[in-house]
Amino acid sequence: MKYPNSKGHFGEYGGRYISETLMPAILELEEFYKKIKNNKEFKDELRSYLKNYAGRPTPLYYASRLSKLYSSNIYLKREDLNHTGSHKLNNTLGQALLAVKMGKKRIIAETGAGQHGVATATVCALFDLECEVFMGVKDIERQKQNVLRMEVLGAKVTPVNAGSSTLKDAMNEAIRDWITNVRTTYYMIGTAAGMHPYPEMVRDFQSVIGKEVLKELKQINKFPDILIACIGGGSNAIGLFHPFLKYKEVKMYGVEAGGFGLETGMHAASISGGKPGVLHGNKTYLLQDEDGRIKEAHSIAAGLDYPGVGPEHSFYADKKRIIYDTITDKEAIEAFKLLCRLEGIIPAIESSHAVAYLDKIKKEIKGKTVIVNLSGRGDKDMETIAGYLSENKIKKEQHSNDK
Amino acid sequence: MANNINKIDELFANYKKAGKTAFIPFISIGDPDIETSFDIAKALISNGADMIELGYPFSDPMADGKVIQKSYERTLKNRVTMADAFNFVARLKEISEIPVIFFTYYNPIFAYRTSEFADSASAAGIDGVLVVDLPPEESFELKQFIDKKNIDQIFLLAPTSDISRIKLITSYAKGFVYYVSVTGVTGARKSLPSEMRSKVEEIKNIKDIPVGIGFGISSPEQAEEIKNYADAIIIGSKIIQFIENNLNDKKNIIKSISEFSYGIKSSLM
Repeated sequence: MKYPNSKGHFGEYGGRYISETLMPAILELEEFYKKIKNNKEFKDELRSYLKNYAGRPTPLYYASRLSKLYSSNIYLKREDLNHTGSHKLNNTLGQALLAVKMGKKRIIAETGAGQHGVATATVCALFDLECEVFMGVKDIERQKQNVLRMEVLGAKVTPVNAGSSTLKDAMNEAIRDWITNVRTTYYMIGTAAGMHPYPEMVRDFQSVIGKEVLKELKQINKFPDILIACIGGGSNAIGLFHPFLKYKEVKMYGVEAGGFGLETGMHAASISGGKPGVLHGNKTYLLQDEDGRIKEAHSIAAGLDYPGVGPEHSFYADKKRIIYDTITDKEAIEAFKLLCRLEGIIPAIESSHAVAYLDKIKKEIKGKTVIVNLSGRGDKDMETIAGYLSENKIKKEQHSNDK
Repeated sequence: MANNINKIDELFANYKKAGKTAFIPFISIGDPDIETSFDIAKALISNGADMIELGYPFSDPMADGKVIQKSYERTLKNRVTMADAFNFVARLKEISEIPVIFFTYYNPIFAYRTSEFADSASAAGIDGVLVVDLPPEESFELKQFIDKKNIDQIFLLAPTSDISRIKLITSYAKGFVYYVSVTGVTGARKSLPSEMRSKVEEIKNIKDIPVGIGFGISSPEQAEEIKNYADAIIIGSKIIQFIENNLNDKKNIIKSISEFSYGIKSSLM
């Protein structure tokens, strides 16, 4: 059975829960994507951009000191070395080529950490497209550098001051813009969520990650036992996992943002701490109250700070094919520091969640071949890290003064 | 079991015979608070509303403009629940025969459990349900339950709808088709697209079904023009604006909305 089905459903999840105004555009996009995805010319063109522009394939790096620490064989898939600093460009390159072929001249996008916004602004510069990125004011505050990057690339960054003023609200505003300008505008969703065909399309574009890992491991005669990736909307994770789903022996862990801890209610773990519902065009696990209102998510990682998750993840969570678990802000910061010191790699705080999970399953990974998706680099997070460390230093000092 | 004839269908059948266009105001339940919104509903009914559309707030109203977003934020602050909403409708039905359309997004219904929603909605006396983010493709999960209760599921059509969408939606539609006048979110607009009339005619050519026009309508002049070809006009943001402008003056809210409603109704006569 192939997922999603023709209506965009992954079992009971996914679908197209959107306003009628958008239906014709969504159907047009679906038709267009169906036609083009196996077109040789399109695939060659995308492959060429991925190679010569993005710098793919990204290395699969054997992290020897980290491996030694955990007595296992840990490989890092270096999406942080992709152009613009994260896996996001894999998707925006694909969608931009599609948008150009559809004759669209204006691109809109939502962004949380700003990585998707930067990747969108980048391809818009590359293909001479007008670009407007919606971003919550809270995220603008904590990701100033990415706002600047988008602006120098020629994008208009529109602050969104509604609800929690983070990714979910940016997405609401992007959808409102799309409803208004649907005839001329292409909506470039940054994660494998939203209405069909986005979850499928974004997954396909991101699957280059897993396909490369397969090839790279084959060259050294290895096969993975365990895959680990962080989950916000879940595009880097599904990109790594999807090509491996058919190998039953490969175990997969999706790491959600545990924030201050699941028990505090202050987290962004939709699968581990939410229940199914409908938001942003798809049915999926959501953080919500008993009346079906969406709750604010919390994570130190802006890119994971979303109260939903891609529908395919919800599907595999129920089937227990992929195991979903959480890492707290604090654990992510520890892993961030660990990777900096042990391997000389500054990971994004998002990706640090995946790295942190190694410690949580350290018994299980002994002697095993483990792939961790290093979805992005941490340059953007320096302010957040500095803030977090100084806050904790103050707490520690207060603590010792109390003594 | 509900009555055999749905009240919405009955009203449109009567109005068609009489050559009348219906006025359907929209308010959100609990804005600025439950009791005031109940008084607003009463004021609308006594000043010409033929049906009433009651919005149930959602945290992420993606198809709504600023005015209704803020209205939902106020109601959410008041912690209006589905039980409050049903209670509101039941009370309204005690004092009026007016058809009630329940307007919301799907997640609150799904969280309540769709089958239980249908039971409670029917018990409260709701005549129609419009779920903004439930196009025909995803509508079955609600339809299977409300059909049994003789509640009309109202669907939207938009300026972007082509012939195939119009055919699909009119084949699903019950009660009336809600034509969204503009490609955009809800909100009052000074001018409306000229293609509205031809689009309504296109819909009616495909199926003889009542068509209501909403989104953007804000004045008696617009209403007077639209009555020439539409079966109903729906006004929301303009009415909610009166609430927003008079938040600390309940009397003035009622007064301004009553006058506005009366003006619209008069323009439709």
